[in-house]
Amino acid sequence: MTAPNGPGGSSGSDASGVDGNPGSTAGSGPVAPDPASGVAVPDGLADAVDADTGEGELERTIGLSGGLAIGIGTMIGAGIFVFPGLAAENAGPAASLSFAIGAVVALLVALPTSELATAMPRSGGGYFFISRGLGTAPGAVVGLGLWLGLVFASAFYLVGLGSYAGQVFLEAGIALPVDPAVPLGVAFGVGLTALSLFGTENTASLQNGIVAVLLVILTLFLSYGGLDALGVFGSERLPERFFPPGGLLPVLQTAALVFTSYLGFAQVATVAGDIKDPSRNLPLAMVASVLVVGVFYVVTVFVATSAFGSARLGEFGETAMVEVAREFMGFPGALAIVVAGLLATFSSANASILSTSRAVYAVSRDDLIPAAASRINLQYGTPHVALGLAGGPIVVLAATGQVELLAEVASFLHLVMYGLICVALIRLRREQPDWYVPSFRCPAGFAVAGCGALASFALIAFMQPASIGIGIAVMIAAYGWYRHYATDVELKGRF
Amino acid sequence: MTDTTPPDDTTRTETDRPAVLVPLAVLEGQSLPTGTPDLLANARVVLLGYHVIPEQTAAEQARAQFGETAMAKLEAFAGALANAGATVETRLVFTHDERTTIDRLIYEHECLAVLVPNGIERVESVLVALRGTVGVGRNTCLVAGLFAESDVDVTLYHALNESETIADGESFLNGVRADLVERGMDPERIEVVVEEAEAAVDAIARHGESHDAVVMGETDPSVTTFVFGMPSEQVAERFLGPVLVVQRERPEE
Repeated sequence: MTAPNGPGGSSGSDASGVDGNPGSTAGSGPVAPDPASGVAVPDGLADAVDADTGEGELERTIGLSGGLAIGIGTMIGAGIFVFPGLAAENAGPAASLSFAIGAVVALLVALPTSELATAMPRSGGGYFFISRGLGTAPGAVVGLGLWLGLVFASAFYLVGLGSYAGQVFLEAGIALPVDPAVPLGVAFGVGLTALSLFGTENTASLQNGIVAVLLVILTLFLSYGGLDALGVFGSERLPERFFPPGGLLPVLQTAALVFTSYLGFAQVATVAGDIKDPSRNLPLAMVASVLVVGVFYVVTVFVATSAFGSARLGEFGETAMVEVAREFMGFPGALAIVVAGLLATFSSANASILSTSRAVYAVSRDDLIPAAASRINLQYGTPHVALGLAGGPIVVLAATGQVELLAEVASFLHLVMYGLICVALIRLRREQPDWYVPSFRCPAGFAVAGCGALASFALIAFMQPASIGIGIAVMIAAYGWYRHYATDVELKGRF
Repeated sequence: MTDTTPPDDTTRTETDRPAVLVPLAVLEGQSLPTGTPDLLANARVVLLGYHVIPEQTAAEQARAQFGETAMAKLEAFAGALANAGATVETRLVFTHDERTTIDRLIYEHECLAVLVPNGIERVESVLVALRGTVGVGRNTCLVAGLFAESDVDVTLYHALNESETIADGESFLNGVRADLVERGMDPERIEVVVEEAEAAVDAIARHGESHDAVVMGETDPSVTTFVFGMPSEQVAERFLGPVLVVQRERPEE
């Protein structure tokens, strides 16, 4: 008879450095092994995590392009296709500065997140880092907050998607008695949740394709619009005063509002457990996706505010970019942007719903909520309870149609997590636990993480009082749940 | 991995045994088909239990729920293979893409062939379809390794391509036969068939009907690896018996 399951007993000769190779005893088994033994191999991060604990290995199937597609695909929907009108109304042409501020904050957080993710390439992302680095209570607040933060973000994307779907009717000349954005958003929410529950089609390549198409359309459109705005051809457009009447304050408030456009980079970390060669691909995918979308956002707002006055843009609302395209390129331009907007908001909404279900799984795995939440349906192989816990509240929130509020609460809950990620980095670097062996080290770690934490918390201060109130209420509720249900769970340093 | 080589057999080391990957979708009810232990009695079997999970599910999540069940099933299959004499290594992988997994394991374990698992009653004769001289050494290595010490009859088959004559084909197969004999096969048990065939796949499937198992190569050596490349997949579907798909040599990384 054989005893074929021994971790480390399996063929040591084929140690070809490929992920998932057994040979290390650490892993995610039900019993936490001595952490020191897990990361003894310097390059063996993924090995350590994926090692066969007697219950099977995990295949890492997402490469760099897949990681970039997740990051860019999640982010690009909001900043370009929902926010320009709202942002310009609040901050004028300086809204491009607001987006740039957002990009800097996101980068300050993305670098520490990358370091933590290469030390702990596990599903759950920021929640995982904070619960392991700072302990159960902050972990629970962030974990439950991340679930609800993603619920708010998904609802926001759905309303954006609904707006673009409604725009299709407008372009087709079909008059509707009510604004279709919210009902359509709700319908898409139900549809996407059902798709995630029952769809077993391979959608990764579809997502990559959507992102590629989007980037091509946007590059063409923004190059044309940018050249036109600079007066290379056509008539030179007179720029209005850069700063809005209120000075810097509205710019910072707008930065807080549009920060939702940068929430996607951390989504890359939530699928860290599925990413190939995480030491290299995680930092690259996170930092590059922030840079790419940041540049697109800044240029978009510049082009948009050159085409119209800020007040005019604000009147166009969520679909302002369609009018910008119409101004530059007529009906074909408008059509291209409607299609691109549909694709972008669709991919953002879909990615966020999936991330939400993974966030539910992450807290359920750690017993912060009942284990039933991470049950998988054997027939479809999908986590039906977690998807329900994602889709249900998402649809309810989408029905409110409060775009700005949804966006800000989502940003609030994420910014709390981002700030704590930076704190976790500082703490882990100070304490140097023996399991903490990141293969990517954030340059000037303490300074970057310190600035990242300060910037994250500072941005919250510029939000509307209602958003801050809801955000704090969610955090208090999450802490209350932790005190009620999970006080005996110890997560710090647990793998 | 457990070394199950019989202790009295000192001439065979593990490296002599041809490595064969047997992929099974364990949680979808796929079990080790009848006859597989006999077919692979002399192999170093890499028994891969895999479970494909949709992208919306984290692989970890599936492992937490199904890992133990799947491993238990896999161990039972491993036991059956080991009892028949095979050396067995088991791997259980939760994956979003089984081709990536199978491909990686072929490479990690330096597998000569992958089994398309279909059941058989007995192993008495095997059809070996050969395309050409490129990589034919891997075919002979596999066939001799599996069947040299058994009493299985082997039929070497080559479908002529346009530029070849029957004499070319026969000299090719006779060369292969000589190689097999050198590796310990009984020349009496090797038959050689050369014919002109419009569609090689049809011909192989047709000939396969009078045999118990088929050994054939990967699709087109110029195409990137698809483990169950079209022709072998088609043959397996029509032939309904086990097909051993010989893998090309992998380039060193």
